[in-house]
Amino acid sequence: MAVFDTPEEAFGVLRPVCVQLTKTQTVENVEHLQTRLQAVSDSALQELQQYILFPLRFTLKTPGPKRERLIQSVVECLTFVLSSTCVKEQELLQELFSELSACLYSPSSQKPAAVSEELKLAVIQGLSTLMHSAYGDIILTFYEPSILPRLGFAVSLLLGLAEQEKSKQIKIAALKCLQVLLLQCECQDHPRSLDELEQKQLGDLFASFLPGISTTLTRVITGDFKQGHSIVVSSLKIFYKTVSFIMADEQLKRISKVQAKSAVEHRVAELMVHREADWVKNTGDKLTILIKKIIECVSVHPHWKVRLELVELVEDLLLKCSQSLVESAGPLLKALVGLVNDESPEVQAQCNKVLRHFADQKVVVGNKALADILSESLHSLATSLPRLMTSQDDQGKFSTLSLLLGYLKLLGPKINFVLNSVAHLQRLSKALIQVLELDVADIKIVEERRWNSDDLNASPKTSATQPWNHIQRRYFRFFTDERIFMLLRQVCQLLGYYGNLYLLVDHFMELYRQSVVYRKQAAMILNELVTGAAGLEVEDLHEKHIKTNPEELREIVTSILEEYTSQENWYLVTCIETEEMGEELMMEHPGLQAITSGEHTSQVTSFLAFSKPSPIVCSMNSNIWQICIQLEGIGQFAYALGKDFCLLLMSTLYPVLEKAGDQTLLISQVATSTMMDICHACGYDSLQHLINQNSDYLVNGISLNLRHLALHPHTPKVLEVMLRNSDANLLPLVADVVQDVLATLDQFYDKRAASFVSVLHALLAALAQWFPDTGNLRHLHEQSLGEEGSHLNQRPATLENSTTAEDIEQFLLNYLKEKDVADGNVSDFDNEEEEQPVPPKVEENDTHPDVEPPLPLQIQMAMDVMERCIHLLSDKNLQIRLKVLDVLDLCVVVLHSHKNQLLPLAHRAWPSLVHRLTRDAPLAVLRAFKVLRTLGSKCGDFLRSRFCKDVLPKLAGSLVTQAPISARAGPVYSHTLAFKLQLAVLQGLGPLCERLDLGEGDLNKVADACLIYLSAKQPVKLQEAARSVFLHLMKVDPDSTWFLLIELYCPTQFTPPHPSLHPVQLRGASRQQNPYMANVLRLLKELQ
Amino acid sequence: MAAPCPLPPPDPQFVLRGTQSPVHALHFCEGRQAQGHPLLFSGSQSGLVHIWSLQMRRALTTLDGHGGQCVTWLQTLPQGHQLLSQGRDLKLCLWDLAEGRNAVVDSVPLESVGFCRSSILVQGQPRWMLAVPGKGSNEVQILEMPSKTSVCTLKPEADAKLGMPMCLRLWQADCSPRPLLLAGYEDGSVALWDVSEQKVCSRIACHEEPVMDLDFDSQKAKGISGSAGKALAVWRLDGQQALQVCGTHQLTNPGIAEVTIRPDRKILATAGWDHRIRVFHWRKMQPLAVLAFHSAAIQCVAFAADGLLAAGSKDQRISLWSLYPRA
Repeated sequence: MAVFDTPEEAFGVLRPVCVQLTKTQTVENVEHLQTRLQAVSDSALQELQQYILFPLRFTLKTPGPKRERLIQSVVECLTFVLSSTCVKEQELLQELFSELSACLYSPSSQKPAAVSEELKLAVIQGLSTLMHSAYGDIILTFYEPSILPRLGFAVSLLLGLAEQEKSKQIKIAALKCLQVLLLQCECQDHPRSLDELEQKQLGDLFASFLPGISTTLTRVITGDFKQGHSIVVSSLKIFYKTVSFIMADEQLKRISKVQAKSAVEHRVAELMVHREADWVKNTGDKLTILIKKIIECVSVHPHWKVRLELVELVEDLLLKCSQSLVESAGPLLKALVGLVNDESPEVQAQCNKVLRHFADQKVVVGNKALADILSESLHSLATSLPRLMTSQDDQGKFSTLSLLLGYLKLLGPKINFVLNSVAHLQRLSKALIQVLELDVADIKIVEERRWNSDDLNASPKTSATQPWNHIQRRYFRFFTDERIFMLLRQVCQLLGYYGNLYLLVDHFMELYRQSVVYRKQAAMILNELVTGAAGLEVEDLHEKHIKTNPEELREIVTSILEEYTSQENWYLVTCIETEEMGEELMMEHPGLQAITSGEHTSQVTSFLAFSKPSPIVCSMNSNIWQICIQLEGIGQFAYALGKDFCLLLMSTLYPVLEKAGDQTLLISQVATSTMMDICHACGYDSLQHLINQNSDYLVNGISLNLRHLALHPHTPKVLEVMLRNSDANLLPLVADVVQDVLATLDQFYDKRAASFVSVLHALLAALAQWFPDTGNLRHLHEQSLGEEGSHLNQRPATLENSTTAEDIEQFLLNYLKEKDVADGNVSDFDNEEEEQPVPPKVEENDTHPDVEPPLPLQIQMAMDVMERCIHLLSDKNLQIRLKVLDVLDLCVVVLHSHKNQLLPLAHRAWPSLVHRLTRDAPLAVLRAFKVLRTLGSKCGDFLRSRFCKDVLPKLAGSLVTQAPISARAGPVYSHTLAFKLQLAVLQGLGPLCERLDLGEGDLNKVADACLIYLSAKQPVKLQEAARSVFLHLMKVDPDSTWFLLIELYCPTQFTPPHPSLHPVQLRGASRQQNPYMANVLRLLKELQ
Repeated sequence: MAAPCPLPPPDPQFVLRGTQSPVHALHFCEGRQAQGHPLLFSGSQSGLVHIWSLQMRRALTTLDGHGGQCVTWLQTLPQGHQLLSQGRDLKLCLWDLAEGRNAVVDSVPLESVGFCRSSILVQGQPRWMLAVPGKGSNEVQILEMPSKTSVCTLKPEADAKLGMPMCLRLWQADCSPRPLLLAGYEDGSVALWDVSEQKVCSRIACHEEPVMDLDFDSQKAKGISGSAGKALAVWRLDGQQALQVCGTHQLTNPGIAEVTIRPDRKILATAGWDHRIRVFHWRKMQPLAVLAFHSAAIQCVAFAADGLLAAGSKDQRISLWSLYPRA
């Protein structure tokens, strides 16, 4: 499109349309003009401004009814012209202003005329553009008293639109326009700031509108949250800008007492306001009401931008109107403080910025320093806090606590003024204690037991650096919102950071000691106080504040720890001693003795499962929580002290480890995470590292406590946990304590055997793991191969299908030779070499037969333990007997390489073991058989005759008698103890026979007892196990096994290779349907 | 001090482990070097000297200067950062421990392989006097340190038949500058030597068995000695420098390895071969406590200036006891 740069050209183009429009005022003509205008340059347009405006203004001014559409297009066109040009004459500005405002004037009603939304929008934009197009100082001359009625009209018009329109667009536009009208526009077009006099004049002028603007905007602001945040933000902005302009202290102090006579007509003068002291006071009071309303509504507004605007509001008003709005200062500050902990980081940051700004200024409000106002507020809040905490709901508590937190943050070290007042400290602590009360009715916590004993392997790397990130979830009586808890923690931390720590710790320690009702809460508070005092997470508004020095902090922590871990606070009843009671219950269960009975599924039912949350359960629950809180506290202290905590490990680690071994799941979990925190603080890579590096402290605790076992019954647990979580390096360090344990066990065989046996078990398990015997491994490997039984390499030549005469001859010759050898006529050795048993591993210790070198520590320990096991094997408590059998098993494994030490001990243990194998409860028989297998695999020769004489007949007998029962039994049978016993014996017999190298007669006994289990009527698992027995027997004596199986079932008829030989008659061949068929066939296939 | 109703004997306050060898010598160090955190030195049979921090309750360093031979005696010089250690490798080492160093700066060759512990007397900086068992089996050699010049050799008269010296204690009366030496001998007698005149001032036979150790309270001019036998002997030095037996205290089990009077001279402790520490009231010689913790013979006992008692045993542990702590 061509651009007309010179006014002449433009005039030529525009004249026809303007004339046309003046003649006939239609929408088309207006649009025609507007299209032409677009082709005209700004400078040309400026020249022709008046000329072009004329037809448009003429159209507006023409009396009579006009179509809205026309007015709208005229206004739009006008706006276009104004946006490209400047208004340089005051009169034109005034006239245009009146003409535009009149477009929405409805003479009939007070409200804006009922015109279309498009028109309203167009007019608002027109007004806005007009005000922007005013050139230079013209705008200031516009605001003279005489304009007051017209301006007032426009202001009320816009306020009406902002409040009552439905369209959000119009509302926003109206508010924006209002902003422009009140000279608060934020755009760049306004060249200079006003000088004092101008400000005063404008202030005088606008003061007339203040009531209208403030009340209407307050209504808009406090309206529905749903109206959208931008409207509220704009309204807030206009509100505070207007108020701070009109009520600015700067202006007000220049107002003379007497109103100057102005040269305006009387009507207008009446509208003018004189801002003298009374007016200020009255207006201030009224505004305070509005401000309170606004704060109440906006501080909980869901949109953060609105709350951010509130911060601006507070800042602006407090900075500019601290004198005139002195009454509002309190509420305004409170709003600010409440927003210090806003969930939005932007709001928080802005708040902090503003607060810092205030703190830097000496005087904030009404000659009072910020700090004074704040401490007054804190005083009054502390006073009402207990009441608020009981009466408010979660949301209310949240805002109250936010406020408290804000005060603490702002006051910083000055909170001590409040804390030093006994009454206030008491109120504050009462409120905290009260609100932190835990709900301890949850029964699960008491019930959950730690069964899995080696769960301490987590690495501290995975845990967060801040202890409270993995804090145990807890339930409070008086609130459910997790955020409240976070706030409370922050409050306590700030108290610890800024407050006099000695005073606070003393106070809460007093409460801790005073009553069990306060104890948990006081401990929680103490934990947070210390964390706060270390100042690791606190964002400090007061840079100059000096933290508690580490030396002092350590002393304080030491004293708290002493209290926490003292006898009466650390050793609380957390469970009915289920272990012991459970064992007694087991003892009294008569059904367990019967080996054949099918009902062995008796379990120790939890006592607690039956009971309602009784007072006892609640108090145990409360005890558990107390211990957990104290444990968490230790973790937090470690976090707070960092490396300094290392010095406290000597007294702290032991009790924590003690709890890590606790029966209650929650406690042991929390203790573990506490240890993790300690690892973190003191720079250990893992729990293992922590324990190893500090084993001297632990061992010291154990050995001293063992001396008073009655007082410290959990001592063995600590050793257990240590052993479970450490490695071979620990052994020399615990050696003397193990001796102490054994010595103590010797003293308390009857009373405390159970806890000692589990330590011994842990010890031996650790030894077996730390000193794996290579020979032992090899053996296990073989055993597993043997049990699979798939590879039989010794294939006797006799069974080959293509048996030739030469083979038979060779066989016969071999047979004769062997018979010769068997008779003692040993002539040559070449055949025997294979049969030589594998030479036993040469033991290093045997190199000097004369000088017995000292035994390795682990061997000495295992011997000492095995010695005790021999005695304990016949304990009257089944649980102990079972545990002892396990320990014995491990002893054998550990001592395996030291036959000289093992065999004498095994010899002494044998009678008792036989007793367990033959005359004890089935569970014990099972374990004893396991020991027997281990023993068999370690020292075969030693066991052979003893086994055959004492055990085999009994075992074979029980297998035979049990067979018909299992053959008849249903599917449930496989869950019974009797079945498990059969299975174990069948699975174990094979390897045993092989290891012990049994003689032919004994092998036959075994084979006879097991044959029945090859029947297809037996449960599948038993059949499998029986097959494994025969696979082992094949290795020992393939021929007789073959014969035995063939006797049972013979798949083929054997035809003699030579007619001169008799045909073979086998018993197995005769039967057709045979229950042994399947298994025998499988076994024979293995033999071939 | 003694309660009317006897309390059960206390537990050790703490037990130090980790020497991995029987403990033969103990010595508290409270010089400037310790800087408020007292240290304990222990000498073990394996020839190592462990330096324990009593604040951390664990060994800070070990000194290895005796070629695996038992360390029998430890003593710090008053300024604190020099340690003397006597080993059965016939060497007496002087260690420099200042500023984290731990090096042997000097050593004195010994000529007796016996059990006799040495003794020092600091007269004035930097000179000090050292008494060590001498070349002849019954001799004591006096050296001036740090120059290592031999001052004299104290040899009993030929007909005395005292046997080997078993324990030595150099001291100096407040009134006179003459150094004196108390020595316990194999034959059970205690002799007082005037070092400058090289003669025995007085001698008493107070034990049947060899004297194992003695301690002397120069203020009260009273001393105590323990022997391999079942008795403790208390003796006094009168104005004429003559030793007199004041009394003996019978023990249930024989054998005292070391006897030490607490620095405040209120109580004394003995290291018993019967695994027990015995504590007595020094003035009244009234038995106060029998401390049972160790599982093997106790070889040494030492008191710290603040009253803490340490005992080292053949069971490789060092127990620390806080007895009658002073408020």
